[in-house]
Amino acid sequence: MAAEQWLKAVQEAKKTAIIQDGKRKVHFMMGDGKEMVEEYHLDTNVLTRRAWREKGKLGQDVGWAVEVGDPDPKPLDNLEVSGIRESSNTPIISRRITKVSLEWRIRNLPYPKDVYSVTAENDKTITVRTSNKKYFKKISVPDLERVGLKPEQERISFTHQFNTLIITYKKPPLLIDLEKTILQEILQLKTRKESDVQCPTS
Amino acid sequence: MAAVAAAKVQEVREITRIERIGAHSHIRGLGLDDSLEPRNVSQGMVGQLMARRAAGVVLEMIKDGKIAGRAILLAGQPGTGKTAIAMGMAQALGLDTPFTSMAGSEIYSLEMGKTEALTQAIRKSIGVRIKEETEIIEGEVVEIQVDRPATGVGAKVGKLTLKTTEMETIYDLGNKMIDSLMKEKVQAGDVITIDKATGKINRLGRSFTRARDYDATGSQTRFVQCPEGELQKRKEVVHTVTLHEVDVINSRTHGFLALFSGDTGEIKSEVRDQINAKVAEWREEGKAEIVPGVLFIDEVHMLDIECFSFLNRALENEMAPVVIMATNRGITRIRGTTYKSPHGIPIDLLDRMIIVPTSPYQEKDLKEILKIRCEEEDCEMADDALTVLTRIALETSLRYAIQLITTASLVSRKRKSTEVNIDDVKRVYSLFLDENRSSQFLKEYQDEFMFNELEEQAMEVA
Repeated sequence: MAAEQWLKAVQEAKKTAIIQDGKRKVHFMMGDGKEMVEEYHLDTNVLTRRAWREKGKLGQDVGWAVEVGDPDPKPLDNLEVSGIRESSNTPIISRRITKVSLEWRIRNLPYPKDVYSVTAENDKTITVRTSNKKYFKKISVPDLERVGLKPEQERISFTHQFNTLIITYKKPPLLIDLEKTILQEILQLKTRKESDVQCPTS
Repeated sequence: MAAVAAAKVQEVREITRIERIGAHSHIRGLGLDDSLEPRNVSQGMVGQLMARRAAGVVLEMIKDGKIAGRAILLAGQPGTGKTAIAMGMAQALGLDTPFTSMAGSEIYSLEMGKTEALTQAIRKSIGVRIKEETEIIEGEVVEIQVDRPATGVGAKVGKLTLKTTEMETIYDLGNKMIDSLMKEKVQAGDVITIDKATGKINRLGRSFTRARDYDATGSQTRFVQCPEGELQKRKEVVHTVTLHEVDVINSRTHGFLALFSGDTGEIKSEVRDQINAKVAEWREEGKAEIVPGVLFIDEVHMLDIECFSFLNRALENEMAPVVIMATNRGITRIRGTTYKSPHGIPIDLLDRMIIVPTSPYQEKDLKEILKIRCEEEDCEMADDALTVLTRIALETSLRYAIQLITTASLVSRKRKSTEVNIDDVKRVYSLFLDENRSSQFLKEYQDEFMFNELEEQAMEVA
C-alpha cells in the first residue's frame, strides 16, 4: 500500500477521541470494516499503543492484536484446556515507537551480544538470528509496509542489556512526514475529557 | 514404564468400545457396483433393487454438486426400507457432504416457527468449504521430560523441547497433551507438528540427523529433514462448515444482550442475507466452495400445507440442497386442509419431485435381512429358527421379526445356550403379540375393557 492510500484510509475513517488516564485515545472505524485503536502520550504526542480488532474468517470475534506497545496481559490460560504453551522464559517481543525510530524489545534473551545478527531481508521483514541456533524470528514491519517501503540494513542498529535485545530502526523521512500529517488530523478531532459527564445520573 | 502400560490399556479400551446398535446401524452404503448396478446383498442392503439403483443415480447427481433444489420422494409401505435407503445414501456420500436427517413432526416446536425450523434444516444441509489459517508448531523433538508426583496421584508436569535448524523453544505441556504424546510414542529425534488450536499431533518421521542411531527402527520409519525457520507457522487448512453454523456464529448477540437470547433461537433474515452475500463474494474470489448436501425428511406427510408451499419456494433457490422425503401414506388428507392428495403432498409439489417406489420384500430378501440383523446384534441363530422367523416376518411384519431376534437371543442366553433355536423363537412369539394378534385380541375381549364404545370411524391420526 502506498503512503497516500493509507493516509486516505485514516482520513476517511470514522474517528472518536477521548482523553483518559493521561493518554489521548483514538478509535478508527475504517471504510473496509477494520477497527483500530491508537493511544498517544499527552505531552510528547508519541504513539504508545496501536491495536487492531481481529475477526475470524467466519466473522466471529477473536480479540485484539497489539501492533505497538506491550501485549495485553492474558489471563493465564488453563494448560489443561490448551494442552501446550510456551514456557514462561521463552523470548517475548514487544514494539515501541519513539520520535525518530521504530523499536523492538525482545526480552528473555540471555545470550551475549556477539551471538545476534539482525538483517533486513527482501521479504519485507527484519530477521533476527542467533549463531548458537537458539532464537530466530522474522519481524514484519507494518509501518513500512503501509507506506510501501522495504527495511534498509543501514538504518538498523541493536544493543543488548539486561537479557533484552533492543533493535532500533531509524524512521525514513517519508514515514516521519506521514506520521506528522496524521497527528495533525488527530489533534484537530473534537476530544472528550474523561471528566465530561456523558449521561447525567441526577 | 508405567506410563507406557497405561497408554496400552487405553488403546485396548478404545478398540473394544461397544457402539450402540440402532435400527439401521447395519447399513454401510447403497451396495452398488461401479456401473451403479445393485448387488443383491451388499453393505447391509438387501433386495429393493430398482429403488437402490434409482438412489444410486440420485447419488451421482448429488456428488456432481451442480444440481440444486431437486426433490426425491421415497414412497412405499411401512417396513420396505425407505429410511434404510436414505441412510445408505448418507453413508455413501461420506463425511464431507452435509447430510441432515429430520422427521416431519420435528418442525412443530414452540421455540421457533415452522418455516424457521425448515430454513435451519435446509441451511444445515449446505456446506461451505473454506480455507482457514491455523497456527501449527513444527519441529524436531530434542527432549520430552515428564515429571510425575511422588505420591502417584495428581497432575503430571511436562516439558517439551522442540527445535528447527534455526531455533529452539521449550514448551509446557498439559496432562492431555502428555497422554497423546505418549500414545503417539513420540521420542527425541522425531519430527512432529502440533495444531495449536486442536492439539492434534502428527508424526512426520524421524530426523535425518538421527539416521545413524541404529536403535530399533522399523522398516517403515520415514526420515525427514529437520524443519527450517520459525517453530510456529501459519498454515492453511481446508474445512467444511454448514451455512447454519455460519449463521449462528454471526447472529449471537454480544454483551449483556446475550443474557436474554438463547444460543440459537430464530435467526434474523437480514443476517442470512448478509451471509449469503458474503459467501457469494468468497466463491467469486475463489476463497470458498459450496458443497450442496442432502436434507432427508422422514414421515413427510406430517408437514402441513404451509410447509409444503414454503418448500415449493425454497427449492427454487439456487443454494437449495437436494431434498429427499419419505412417506408411507397413500391417498390421504393434506395436513392443514380438507383436500386429499396422493401421499398427503399437494400436487404442485409432487410435480417437482421424482418419485422412487419401494415394494414389499420377498421371502428370501427377508431371510437375508434377518441374517444381517442377527450378525449385527451378535446373535447365533439356528437355520430352522431363522426359517420360522422369516415366516413370521412374512405374515406379520419385518419390524416385529427383528424385535424377536433380540428377545429370543436373551431367552436362549438365559438357558445358557450359545445358539437361538426354534423353541426360543416360539417362546417369544407367544410372549409378545404382534399388531395383528393384538387387535384380534382386542376385538374379542372388547367388552371387558374400559371405555369400550365401538367407534364408527377409525381414529384420525393426521
